[in-house]
Amino acid sequence: MSHSKLASIFNKDEKKVDWHDKALWFVRHKRDLSVHQVKGWESLRDLGHGIKAHMLSNLDSYLQEFEKNAQANGVEVHWAANGEEHNQIVHKILKENNAKKIVKSKSMLTEECHLNPYLEADGMEVIDTDLGERIVQLAKEPPSHIVLPAIHKNKHEVDELFQEHLGTEPCDGDPQYLTHEARKHLREKFITADAAITGVNFAIAETGGFVVCTNEGNADMGAHLAPVHIACMGVEKIIPKQEHLGVFLRLLARSATGQPITTYSSHFRKPKDGRKMHIVIVDNGRSEQLSRPDFRASLHCIRCGACMNTCPIYRRSGGHSYDATIPGPIGSILSPGKDLTKHSSLPFASTLCGSCSNVCPVKIDIHSQLYKWRQIITKETPQPFVKKASMKMMGTMFSKPSQFERVGKLARWSLRTLPKSVINAKPNTWGKERDLPKGPKQSFDEWYAEKRKQE
Amino acid sequence: MGSREKILGQIKANKPESLELPAIDLGLFDEGLDLLQEFTKKVEVVGGNVIQIASENEVQAKMTELFPDAKVKYSTLDETEAFNTLSIEAIQKPHDLEDLDILILKSDIAVAENGAVWLDDSKIPMRVLPFITKHLVFVLEEKSILGYMHEAYANIDDFGFGVFISGPSKTADIEQSLVIGAHGALSLTVFVKK
Amino acid sequence: MKVGLFIPCYINQLYPQVGIATVEVLEKLNVEIVYPTGQTCCGQPMANSGYENESVGACNNFVQNFKEFDYIVTPSGSCAYHVKKHYNILEQTPEVVKVRDNVYELCDFIVNVLKIKDLGASFPAKVGVHKSCHGLRGLRLGSCSEVVGPYFSSIDDLLKEVKGVELMELKRKDECCGFGGTFAVTEEAVSVKMGKDKIQDHLDSGVEVITATDTSCLMHLEGLVNRNKQPLKILHVAEILNSQL
Repeated sequence: MSHSKLASIFNKDEKKVDWHDKALWFVRHKRDLSVHQVKGWESLRDLGHGIKAHMLSNLDSYLQEFEKNAQANGVEVHWAANGEEHNQIVHKILKENNAKKIVKSKSMLTEECHLNPYLEADGMEVIDTDLGERIVQLAKEPPSHIVLPAIHKNKHEVDELFQEHLGTEPCDGDPQYLTHEARKHLREKFITADAAITGVNFAIAETGGFVVCTNEGNADMGAHLAPVHIACMGVEKIIPKQEHLGVFLRLLARSATGQPITTYSSHFRKPKDGRKMHIVIVDNGRSEQLSRPDFRASLHCIRCGACMNTCPIYRRSGGHSYDATIPGPIGSILSPGKDLTKHSSLPFASTLCGSCSNVCPVKIDIHSQLYKWRQIITKETPQPFVKKASMKMMGTMFSKPSQFERVGKLARWSLRTLPKSVINAKPNTWGKERDLPKGPKQSFDEWYAEKRKQE
Repeated sequence: MGSREKILGQIKANKPESLELPAIDLGLFDEGLDLLQEFTKKVEVVGGNVIQIASENEVQAKMTELFPDAKVKYSTLDETEAFNTLSIEAIQKPHDLEDLDILILKSDIAVAENGAVWLDDSKIPMRVLPFITKHLVFVLEEKSILGYMHEAYANIDDFGFGVFISGPSKTADIEQSLVIGAHGALSLTVFVKK
Repeated sequence: MKVGLFIPCYINQLYPQVGIATVEVLEKLNVEIVYPTGQTCCGQPMANSGYENESVGACNNFVQNFKEFDYIVTPSGSCAYHVKKHYNILEQTPEVVKVRDNVYELCDFIVNVLKIKDLGASFPAKVGVHKSCHGLRGLRLGSCSEVVGPYFSSIDDLLKEVKGVELMELKRKDECCGFGGTFAVTEEAVSVKMGKDKIQDHLDSGVEVITATDTSCLMHLEGLVNRNKQPLKILHVAEILNSQL
């Protein structure tokens, strides 16, 4: 279903829309308060952009440098061309280690590859340990936001979900109680896990190490307790040097939630004696996106979610309306590169207001890329006949002033003369909830001609 | 051809011409912070608590006063044998640490702009400790507080595992209500020796 | 100084009073304006819908009509932005480059080219400014709430000098109104909701008159205000600047 259809379903419950909008605006507001305190914030964004652009232009060498250094650190490095291969690699590592119980911290990449169902099909238990992710996992839903996976659920829904799955007491949605019950439930899972899977926020070519950021401490609880740690990363997570972490860690949490830094920024380099650490480097369409000059900057993304929080359409349509692993503005420029037809409505789910580009900590020109995807989509995917024909007609009309004048006259006459019931009849979507302008007798052209005559 | 070669080949073919790596000019960011004051403010913002001390010897007493009911305690400070109720060497599995109430660790890098404290393998006897403990305590000297992350990284070199910790663990995944104590520590106290 | 006036297609046909106010404001400032009668549209409606190719005729017509002017002034941030940003689809002849360089939104022109702020207007009302996105974030006609930097705004500069105008502070200073061209129709549900929320913010802030640099946003808001019979007046900024109430 298209974004607009799913969004109109979401909008049937206006109270819920208001609630969702306010919850995310609150996060955007916290981001504003936080970044406006940082001296040189805009320079920091420029640096983030510049470092990522440089990285992409040398990505093959940085990946090899990273691999070499990671191996020297005692980490095993694997390469996956696509999601399927990624899942196979992870599965094989788990099998070799006889792992049946797996704890996973937040990783949008494993969502993108649909890792959980793949492992579950072989009887493995995969537990998402980020609280928000655990909530949506229990609800059998995908995350609706990359930083706040369960932002579409209110506390009463979580209360009911926990009663059903974790046997909690009814608590009128008390977040404190629910969080502590989740802590107990997941503590048990951490203690008994055979392997831990984490994502990667940044991988440093210079050191072969990688950084994982969380607020809950779930990545560390998993990775340090389980005998095997598998970290999955897209190729674009590379940064050249450790000093660049100084730039990105200053940008990430402030943009995401307004915190000055996440509670835990964990730097993994070498496994402890007797433990195993694996890194799976995944392409899955990224090298293809790199080939598109207009869209390659989308690979700068550090997954802060700021563009979602600020997007007036995301806030009022919910993450699930995007029907994509990464929703919101950044998802709308990434997803068409993967499946143009399936995601063809996403670049149109925007007014091109540009707020996303303004908050982006690595200065991705998101709204310009949305505009550019639109141009490609109308050429390469089937379009409704009416849309195509009317655009052609408008194009012709606006290139010929005399035609424009005739059509304008007719339109004004109709607006002035026809009864409202006709004007606002079904084919006029505008008129469903909005009045049309009245249709003045005289156009500006006509006024101007008259004025000239009088002068 | 394996996936490694395929991926690297495609990237090589598809990447743009090499772009310059921008240099980081620290002058752009410096606000002339009062480091201890800013650090204290930020630790409090992220849900922690800073206590100034004249000597490390004050830490144990303060902790006993703050957490009178704590049973399982471990500290890496000098002369804390009497305080410690467990021996790391005797731990068979990290899981045996489940009941740890208080963990006291030293650090020599902290960051004023975000209240973060750096720990690495040299400061943590077992990696899971600072995450599994109920109450986490850092002890550092005032001179260890740096202004910004840039300076912190300039002072960090070789390590196997390291972490910046800023405040106790937290989540706001249920309706954006902040709850302190997700999977990690329920509280965080930083002692700063003047 | 040769100044060409561009009146966007929908203003020409549906809101001529905005064009008229623009002419009168500029004439009061002794700007000699020429209104090329062969003009139609900047091409944005097609281009933003993904049919940039179909807009080429309109773009060429625009360039032909305005190539000889030192400045092109228009009461629309969005159209000015479109010419500046998206006329890269045309061959970059000296004429095209000149047109792109010299197109100005009305307030921007008055404040930054003419260097005038006080137009001697008077308009006693509590006014809420809707910061239209293309002018604000595209042309940077004012500081944006997301960006760290000093405050500025050409539309506020002018309104502050209008006798009787009380500028009201909104909760969300520069959130989009939800018009977005064909978005208003293809994403009707979200577009309407955005418009309603925007209007509510103005109402909650005690606004009596909503104004903006762009009639397109205002047409959308006016459509909602009229349908829902809300106590708000909608005027283009040129109409306020031309007012002697």
